[in-house]
Amino acid sequence: MATMAADAMGTDTEIRDPPSSATLLVVALAGAAAAAISVFLAFASDHLDDPAVRALLGIWITTPYIAAGLIAWWRRPDSRFGLLMIVAGFATFLNLLTWANSLVLYSIGHAFDFLPPVLLIHLILTFPTGRLEQALERWIVAAAYVLGVGLALVRLMLGGVEPPTLFQVVSDPVAALVVERIVLLGLSALCLAGVGVLALRRRERGRPLRRWVALLIDSFAFGLLMIALLYMAGTFGWPAFESIRRMAFFVIGVAPFAFLIGLLQDRLARSSIGDLMVDLQKGPSPGDVSAALARALRDPSLTLAFWLPEFGRYVDLDGQPVDTTAGTGRASTPIDRDGTHVAMLQHDAALRDEPELLAAVTAGAGMALDNARLQAELRARVDELRGSRARILEAGQQERQRLERNLHDGAQQRLIALSLELGLLEESVEGDSETRERLDRARGEIAASLEELRDVARGLHPAVVSGHGLAVALESLTARAPVPVRLSVAVEHRLPETVEIAAYYVVSESLVNVAKHANASGATVEVRTAEGRVVIEVIDDGIGGADTELGSGLRGLADRVEALDGRLRMWSPPSGGTRLRAEIPCK
Amino acid sequence: MQVMIAEDSVLLREGLSRLLVENGIDVVGSCTNADALLRGVRGFQPDVAIVDIRLPPTYNDEGLQAAIEIRANHPSVGVLVLSQYVEVGLAMKLLADSAEGTGYLLKDRISDVKEFISAVRRVAEGGSAIDPIIVSTLLSKRRSNDPLAPLTPREREVLELMAEGRSNQGIANKLVISLRAVEKYVSSIFSKLDLPSSSTESRRVLAVLLYLHA
Repeated sequence: MATMAADAMGTDTEIRDPPSSATLLVVALAGAAAAAISVFLAFASDHLDDPAVRALLGIWITTPYIAAGLIAWWRRPDSRFGLLMIVAGFATFLNLLTWANSLVLYSIGHAFDFLPPVLLIHLILTFPTGRLEQALERWIVAAAYVLGVGLALVRLMLGGVEPPTLFQVVSDPVAALVVERIVLLGLSALCLAGVGVLALRRRERGRPLRRWVALLIDSFAFGLLMIALLYMAGTFGWPAFESIRRMAFFVIGVAPFAFLIGLLQDRLARSSIGDLMVDLQKGPSPGDVSAALARALRDPSLTLAFWLPEFGRYVDLDGQPVDTTAGTGRASTPIDRDGTHVAMLQHDAALRDEPELLAAVTAGAGMALDNARLQAELRARVDELRGSRARILEAGQQERQRLERNLHDGAQQRLIALSLELGLLEESVEGDSETRERLDRARGEIAASLEELRDVARGLHPAVVSGHGLAVALESLTARAPVPVRLSVAVEHRLPETVEIAAYYVVSESLVNVAKHANASGATVEVRTAEGRVVIEVIDDGIGGADTELGSGLRGLADRVEALDGRLRMWSPPSGGTRLRAEIPCK
Repeated sequence: MQVMIAEDSVLLREGLSRLLVENGIDVVGSCTNADALLRGVRGFQPDVAIVDIRLPPTYNDEGLQAAIEIRANHPSVGVLVLSQYVEVGLAMKLLADSAEGTGYLLKDRISDVKEFISAVRRVAEGGSAIDPIIVSTLLSKRRSNDPLAPLTPREREVLELMAEGRSNQGIANKLVISLRAVEKYVSSIFSKLDLPSSSTESRRVLAVLLYLHA
């Protein structure tokens, strides 16, 4: 599952085991101890005003980070984010050592004066993986460390704080102030740059991210903004400095809570996996599986592509091939079952922030998806079968067409030429009436043969349809019908040949049936095109009650129509009248 | 009289030429496709163009289209369309609004030399030659109330021959009756069918065919 999550995220996140409970406990106890020590230092301090408020604020901006970090570390060992939060929390505690009366502790505390904001920038820019993924982010963080650690130390060496620390080498308050201002303004600028990066990242991800992620990023951004404001207020001596500081502390302390809300939502989301399991137990259709997954992952844009190894391609729910390359703001997660690739889940890239949820959902859905995949495969096969049926029909038709042409160009022409020869001969034996009579009889025989050949040829392939279109062909057909037929053909253009021929056979076969069984006094033949289909209706006023189970003649007709993706239906109520309706798409 | 032939079967093309030549008709040209026919008709202005309905390249309706084009652009050239099958729908398409100088016959008909030659001459002179199969199909077409019911059997025969494009004299010869008798039948038919009597034979062909086709 962890492997899958890592794949899903498409990053090189290392796979780590969750920390042991003992480790977590030790860190938690250390955090509690640090909190207790900071409270003690505040109240024991000989240089701190308002120790209660300061202690409270100190705890407010530290313990939530340690607590949230612990939970994150435990829940998501793959991500360094939790560890970074813990480090940020403890670093802030170290800064609180400035409250100590001991010079050593006091000096150490001041060494960390600017580390908390630096760590905060680092932390925020690494969300959610705990790694800095882009060069710009790395530069921002590196610059923050140079300012917040390096220059901050220079400031201490110049004696930037009162009373001086152990780090002081010379006492140059003017230079120290300059350095301090550089640090403050530099960090302000970096905080603002961080806000910019967050805003950009949010835009890149596209789509409304799930709410808690948005909340988290907003609170982080707000925190950075407050730090930037705070440092500027400090530099320029704005009167509102104290309110800004409290505000900044408050906001910075809120960020871990946003993070915790996110984790909680994750848990809630995981409970949606329970619902998913219930849904999938019902043996849902592929469409339902897709819908259930969309619900469980709260991503309505989610789509499923099933992998068909035999076809070497992905198909959608209808068995149609699909493109699985992920677009902007989209991501793909493979779903495997028993070591076999089953499907590809295409979803909002934001879901990468919840790898566990994604992994749990995909693992749970594997079986149902396998079923769904089989159904998609079945559809693809049906499509293929339909295609091959159409090809067989087409091939048969072409063969018949070829035979008809051979007859037309061969035997029929020869017979006509022979008959003409006899005719000319007949003319030349003017006087011999017996020869003339015999030649005439021979011509009569040839005429009969030609008549038969014509029927055979017409049976093989209605050449008039290919040559002159449906309307002309149907006109002759209905003119020869044994009952009066009202014909109406509303087809503006020539249709594909296979469609025209199928339509012709539908009418001719129906008229044969009308003649044979219907006992009708009239019939109507209507052919029209509508919405890319040709609709053929043959209605008679006969006795009805015909066998609608499609006897062999009609079955063949239905096969022909269905091979073209069409439908053939017949109604024949015992009260009288029979109506046959065929619909064939014209592609 | 000059004739032009468009027929892609060499056997029939040669046979037709011989048949025509032996009966004193000039064959000014013979070709195997529609384009050559149209060029020839433009150049020679023959009295009749004999056209196979199925010509290359697609063997669909090239011949018919060429025939329709000649009828439209060269009214003085008669067109006789030959085909191995005849279709009512095609007949109506070919005739459109006039049967003048137009023929549509089953190819088999060429073996009845006398009949065929007289059909070619009729078309050359602006008359018509409609295949009996077309006429009989139209005549036998089932109708809910048959307008042909009042006709006597003899009148039906006359109607049939009339629809084929034969002149009164032709009908008289065929049925071995007097010209007067034919004229009497014709006027009786026209009044029974409530058709306006037509001045020319080809007009009366179209009138009858349209009447039967309706």
